[in-house]
Amino acid sequence: MITLKVKRQEEENVWYQEYEVEDRPGMTVLEALFYAQEKLDTSLTFRYACRGAVCGSCSMLINRIPRLACKMQISEMRKEPTNEGNLEVLITNKKTEIDNSVILIEPLPNLRVIRDLVVDMEPFYSLVEDIKPWLEMKENVPEKENLMDRDTQVKIEQYTNCILCALCHGSCPVAAKDKQYYGPAALAKAWRFYLDPRENEESKQERLAIVDSESGVWGCDTVYKCVAVCPKKVAPTLAINELRGRIEDKKEKGAK
Amino acid sequence: MITHDTIVIGGGLSGLRAAIELHDKGVDVAIISKVPPIRSHSGAAQGGINASLGMDDSWESHAFDTIKGSDYLADQDTVEILTKEAPDRVLEMEHWGTNFSRKEDGTIAQRPFGGAGFPRTCYAGDRTGHNLLHSLHEQVTKRNIKVYKEWLVTRLVIDDNRCIGAIAMNLFDSELEIFKAKATLLATGGYGRIYKRSTNALINKGHGISLAYRAGIPLQDMEFVQFHPTTLLGTNILITEGARGEGGYLYNKDHERFMKRYAENSMELAPRDIVARSIQQEIDEGRGFPEGYVELDITHIGKKLIEERLPGIRQISIDFAGVDPVEKPIPVQPGQHYSMGGVSSDKDGCTPANGLYAVGECACISVHGANRLGGNSLLDTVVFGRRAGVHAANYISTIDAPNDEMLEDALESEKMNISELMGDSEESYADIKDSLRKNMQENVGVFREREKLEKAVVKIKELEVQARSLRVKTLSKQFNLELLNAIELRGMLDLAHTIALGALVREESRGAHYRTDHLERDDANWMKHTLAYFTQDGPRLEYKDVTITTFQPKKREY
Repeated sequence: MITLKVKRQEEENVWYQEYEVEDRPGMTVLEALFYAQEKLDTSLTFRYACRGAVCGSCSMLINRIPRLACKMQISEMRKEPTNEGNLEVLITNKKTEIDNSVILIEPLPNLRVIRDLVVDMEPFYSLVEDIKPWLEMKENVPEKENLMDRDTQVKIEQYTNCILCALCHGSCPVAAKDKQYYGPAALAKAWRFYLDPRENEESKQERLAIVDSESGVWGCDTVYKCVAVCPKKVAPTLAINELRGRIEDKKEKGAK
Repeated sequence: MITHDTIVIGGGLSGLRAAIELHDKGVDVAIISKVPPIRSHSGAAQGGINASLGMDDSWESHAFDTIKGSDYLADQDTVEILTKEAPDRVLEMEHWGTNFSRKEDGTIAQRPFGGAGFPRTCYAGDRTGHNLLHSLHEQVTKRNIKVYKEWLVTRLVIDDNRCIGAIAMNLFDSELEIFKAKATLLATGGYGRIYKRSTNALINKGHGISLAYRAGIPLQDMEFVQFHPTTLLGTNILITEGARGEGGYLYNKDHERFMKRYAENSMELAPRDIVARSIQQEIDEGRGFPEGYVELDITHIGKKLIEERLPGIRQISIDFAGVDPVEKPIPVQPGQHYSMGGVSSDKDGCTPANGLYAVGECACISVHGANRLGGNSLLDTVVFGRRAGVHAANYISTIDAPNDEMLEDALESEKMNISELMGDSEESYADIKDSLRKNMQENVGVFREREKLEKAVVKIKELEVQARSLRVKTLSKQFNLELLNAIELRGMLDLAHTIALGALVREESRGAHYRTDHLERDDANWMKHTLAYFTQDGPRLEYKDVTITTFQPKKREY
């Protein structure tokens, strides 16, 4: 048996509730939550969709670390402490020698709780939309595909792998205190389009100007928490550093 | 009452593509989706999207492969459209930012896929669906198209064979609202979760298909259910056909490449129905591994190529099965994957009701017939999503605004239905759902026979009775999962009933529908589409002709 200790909330009421779940080999935290919801307490609520770590719906704080519930094996969770009482958002966990049968599950930080583990994602989506996350092609659209070399395609791929799960947002100390800060996902997306040779120069410069602010790349504390928690190895901080470099280059050129 | 010229129900690839077309034609369009569009199951598609881009390839060749793959049940006029328009749609996605994998010369890379005579599957690593979904979502964002995120449509409103909108529930507060529209497009995907083993997302319960069914629209060819040959043991997460396209082998427990006994020329790249049956037969006859699986081996492809072309399934195998495919074979078994059947619709997504369209997996157009080829479903979404958008834009310019009174009545009756659902009962959603899924897996699976199918229908009827007394005790208004499940359960049972009954009556083997008591395809009696109509006593079946233009039915060999 495993105990899920779930932070619940409805309106102003906040409480922790424990669910005893019969675990089995291969069971994930998401499956354990379903066990609790279907068999023990139908009022429990959380988001989900793919159960295969590709859709980004089930982001939550598991043992104080932002993670996808569908990706975490119960057997692995047994090997780590719950970190209960630790108020910080952690990025890694130590392994324990003893078998730990409790898992602490809380909503993703830095977003308002709607109920239980469901948070208001709109501010997150809206921050991503602010950087104009779409491709604006050059004039003279080719009849066939744009040619692209493989190295460029691979470079872009690291950033198109983002599933907008907001785990980075939940781990980010800047996002915690500044609601205007675009955050790691939006800034990584900005770099994805900057890298794309299909994008026209004007749009690139416009996006660069958008992120050239304290709400943008200059707001980042470069603590790499987002890089650590990303389930898709997207590395937003590297993108932010690259964007900073491009902005500085441009200013130097302008000064000459 | 919320009013738009058109509403698109579903925010996956088909829905997004349709919405873009409508918007670009100057139509006021909104998307309603029970999950934010980027969470849609389209994003889980891995292997690719077919288009005859190669110099030596042609749409005719693509059409032939598709029709042969369909075991001659596909309508050949719609297949012609699918394959002719394929290159334009793929190039359009490239122009909209999809990060396709590339060849040395910088053009879009293409890989071999099952049942195809040419490597025509374009891909973005093994995350093609994800890349297409995000590209289309970016284009929707750019156009500022309104999306009602996390709303569940509970009913379509039909006035004198004309769809005038829908009733939907806002999941944030469980309130019902009228959506008034001159045209309504269904793009709600499949129903995989009525099976115990499915690659589908947990949200794929076929709810949209059941809305059309309950509104009197026939469901077509529902007995044709695709089982994907290679789903990961345990979770049944998809392991792309691209793994075999890139050279992967299937081995039984005796380390024999058993496909040589079933498809000696195509081997692992035979179409999905054939490979799924072969694997299932190996397992059933004791040549699988004890837990019920065979091995998919890509170790010989090498780490470099795996990281470049199959990074997603490598990660999935590590995370969900504890196996790194670079070092060890992947344990796989067949699982429900796709619905060839769906809401009966035509080459422009038109259903028999005016103003109601269906596209993508929820529809049966029918381009996939009795068995879909890998790489054709992503193509289907963008080709017919766009076409339905074009048709709907014309249609709404010819008609008057809908009648409010009908919509208001529908809202009141829907409010009543929901309030009647609330209360205590002995029944449990989980029990009924689990029992349904087990029943479908065991009795309406890869191999079918009269006795099992009859048993399945009886069981479904029992479950329907149980479901009628299911009540919802959770009163919370925000994201009431119990209520959501109770609403969707009825539709799951409806669809299961059409599938099981269609399979029972169709006494032949064709594509994915394989009857061990009727082993041959029977063109004389069964070269026809099934149409299932809702009645209070269960589905009423009718049949209609298959459109054959160029390719006369032949024996299907690989």
